[in-house]
Amino acid sequence: MRVPLILRIGALVILTTGFYTYVGQMVPQKEVQAPQETNLNNPDLSSADMAKIGRTIMEGKGLCLTCHTIGKTTGPFRFPDLAGVDVRAKTRVPGLNDVEYFAQSMYEPTAYVVPGFPPAMPPINKPPIGLTDKEILCVIAYLQSLGGTSTVTLKTTHHYYNGTSAAPEATAK
Amino acid sequence: MAQNFSNKLLVLGGLIAAFVIFAAALTIASPRISGESADAPQAANATAPTQSAAKPDANDQSKPYQEAEYRTFPVVGSRVAIWAVAQLHLLFAAFVLAVPIFAFIVEVIGYKTGDLRYDRLAYEFTKLLSVSFSLTATFGAFLTFMLIILYPKFTNYLMSVFSPTFLPYVLLFFFEAFFLYTYYYGWGKFHPLVHLGLGLGLNLVGTGIMLIANAWLTFMMSPRGVSDAGAVLSVKDAVFNYTWMPINVHRIIANVAFGGSVAAAYAAFKFLQAETDEERAHYDWMGYIGNFVAISAFLPLPFAGYWLAKEIYAFSQTLGLTMMGGAFSWLFIIQAVLIGNLFLAANYYLWLGMGRVDGPQPLQKFIKYLLFGITLCFMVWATPRSIIATVSEVRAMGGSAHPILGYLGVMSAKNTAVNILILTTFMSFLLYRRTGKVASVPWAKTGHAAQLTIFAAAAFIVIFLGVYGYFVEATVRIKLSVPQVLSVLFAMISITVVDIFLFRGARKTGEVRWGRIPRISQYVLIFIAVTFTWLMGLMGYVRSGLRQHWHVYGVIRDRSVDAFTPTLGFATKVVSCTVLLFFMLIGVVFWISSLHDRPDFERQPRPAGARRPEAEKA
Repeated sequence: MRVPLILRIGALVILTTGFYTYVGQMVPQKEVQAPQETNLNNPDLSSADMAKIGRTIMEGKGLCLTCHTIGKTTGPFRFPDLAGVDVRAKTRVPGLNDVEYFAQSMYEPTAYVVPGFPPAMPPINKPPIGLTDKEILCVIAYLQSLGGTSTVTLKTTHHYYNGTSAAPEATAK
Repeated sequence: MAQNFSNKLLVLGGLIAAFVIFAAALTIASPRISGESADAPQAANATAPTQSAAKPDANDQSKPYQEAEYRTFPVVGSRVAIWAVAQLHLLFAAFVLAVPIFAFIVEVIGYKTGDLRYDRLAYEFTKLLSVSFSLTATFGAFLTFMLIILYPKFTNYLMSVFSPTFLPYVLLFFFEAFFLYTYYYGWGKFHPLVHLGLGLGLNLVGTGIMLIANAWLTFMMSPRGVSDAGAVLSVKDAVFNYTWMPINVHRIIANVAFGGSVAAAYAAFKFLQAETDEERAHYDWMGYIGNFVAISAFLPLPFAGYWLAKEIYAFSQTLGLTMMGGAFSWLFIIQAVLIGNLFLAANYYLWLGMGRVDGPQPLQKFIKYLLFGITLCFMVWATPRSIIATVSEVRAMGGSAHPILGYLGVMSAKNTAVNILILTTFMSFLLYRRTGKVASVPWAKTGHAAQLTIFAAAAFIVIFLGVYGYFVEATVRIKLSVPQVLSVLFAMISITVVDIFLFRGARKTGEVRWGRIPRISQYVLIFIAVTFTWLMGLMGYVRSGLRQHWHVYGVIRDRSVDAFTPTLGFATKVVSCTVLLFFMLIGVVFWISSLHDRPDFERQPRPAGARRPEAEKA
């Protein structure tokens, strides 16, 4: 029995879309949730705890590790590797200590750009990333731990920290 | 008897379909009608659902008006509903915008050469437009209503930002309808130049409509002309945002590629239905032209894609890196599989087409080398940077990237692979073009040598820069794709120019026999159309999904329950459902278009007093 043309074409369309759907199931499956603000209401949080929170923020809401690597030694680098960054941060820009340098890198990233890399980092305190000042302090605590010791606390202030939270994004009015 | 039964079946099927559609519409509308008052509390704070809040009293006259921020579509949710409708609208719109472009070009060729075959071909393409235009408009209206119903506040915001663009849009739509129907119904009724003028008008108006709609969607992706809080500062800047022009160019090219492939699929369908050699010859030729249009537009598409990606990075590195290195990076592996299939299928069709020509086929011996090159490039392009592996495998590899194959997963390798793929496909086309011909100009040998040298030089530049990319810093590496692209473009243009002069007055070694091609070639054309459609669906998803939890990236936050990025597996299922729906509908378009060629219905005259056969049976 000869299969009608319309059925043959229909089968081809279904098989083709089925194959691409199958390919879609073969790649890693990850549902990305909208980031939530980190709860940092405890003013006595230790620097070590802040560093742990900072690492989580860098992996998630901050999107830092989308571009930066930690401990990569070979191959092409998209942006500077962060292993031992605290050692470099202390002397990289004259007049800035490591905390001030890290703060500048996040609030005003194009003020100093590491040679060989594009001036492409966005201000981290503004949307779409929009980390709060306290969240940024946690990230600084973690960066200090890479090659040094975390010293910042939630009471630490710096040139960019005016005690307010990140600029809130708008809602449709 | 069989015809009678089939007619009755059609009537019955129509009645059932009408009933199902009516019942579905009622089911969808019912919760909306009865649950309207429950939407307002959800609007207050979508991230903290308050749907369980007590419903206000229906007789409470003091209740203030409150605009809902979001509403929920039953079963599949608002996002999937909008996604499917928008995708269907875009697929039909792409078809309706693309077909007039090449119908017009084919008509111009027919007018200039006086060859009536071209005129018939252009008309055949245009026949598909009328029904598709109605479906595009219907889905457009459906999409607008869905946006107003499901995302009222955001739609209101977008309409207020772009308020000056809506009236011109509607006006252009009227003109589009005018030009389209006069172009179609006026075929052969006007002086050819007047008719061509209508075709030109149709194309200009259609492009204008697309440019306006593109401004709205690109603003959502790369907003400009508004303050940090979303207040409008300049509508002009909002229109001329970072990605507007790259999307315009990318869409025009992609629409032509897509439209060509669907028109070729229509020709394939008609070829497979054909009962005479004449019909087969016509539809084989139509399929070839449709596919030629599709592949010609497809070859420069990656370059337009580079430009779009570059502008996305220029607007926001975060957005760019989300696309290429973040949540969507694996999507490009799926894209590589699709594009690899397109290249393979397009080349296969060209190679099968060589059989149309009488006589010996000395060029066919090169096919195996081309196939090897295409397969190799396909494999490189589809190699991911990081590999899905167990913990022990990751430890053994020293990371998620394979120690050797990992090097093929970076942009240097992928840019090289896609450029070589394009060059190889171009070479396949050249081989097809010269099948059954021998260049007879006195400088033929020099011409062939020049073409070969240009081709080899372009391939060398592409590969050299690809390898060089591994040894330089990021700032240098990202600029290397430009000379790679330019060398390929230069090779394609210069070799084509040489080819045109080289084969002027060429000696024929065999006639082209249109229609003499294996039937499998027609299924290849349908496969190409489905793959193109699926690719459009997938890339439409990444363009829109890239905003993640933002309605307008970095400005207006999405606070609905759908403010998350679904898995790629889920996204591909939605894309597949949309593609299947599109092909069901395009099947209806093909069927309605083919009614035009059917003989008129003629009722069999019955002798006076004779009873109907059914009545006799009863």
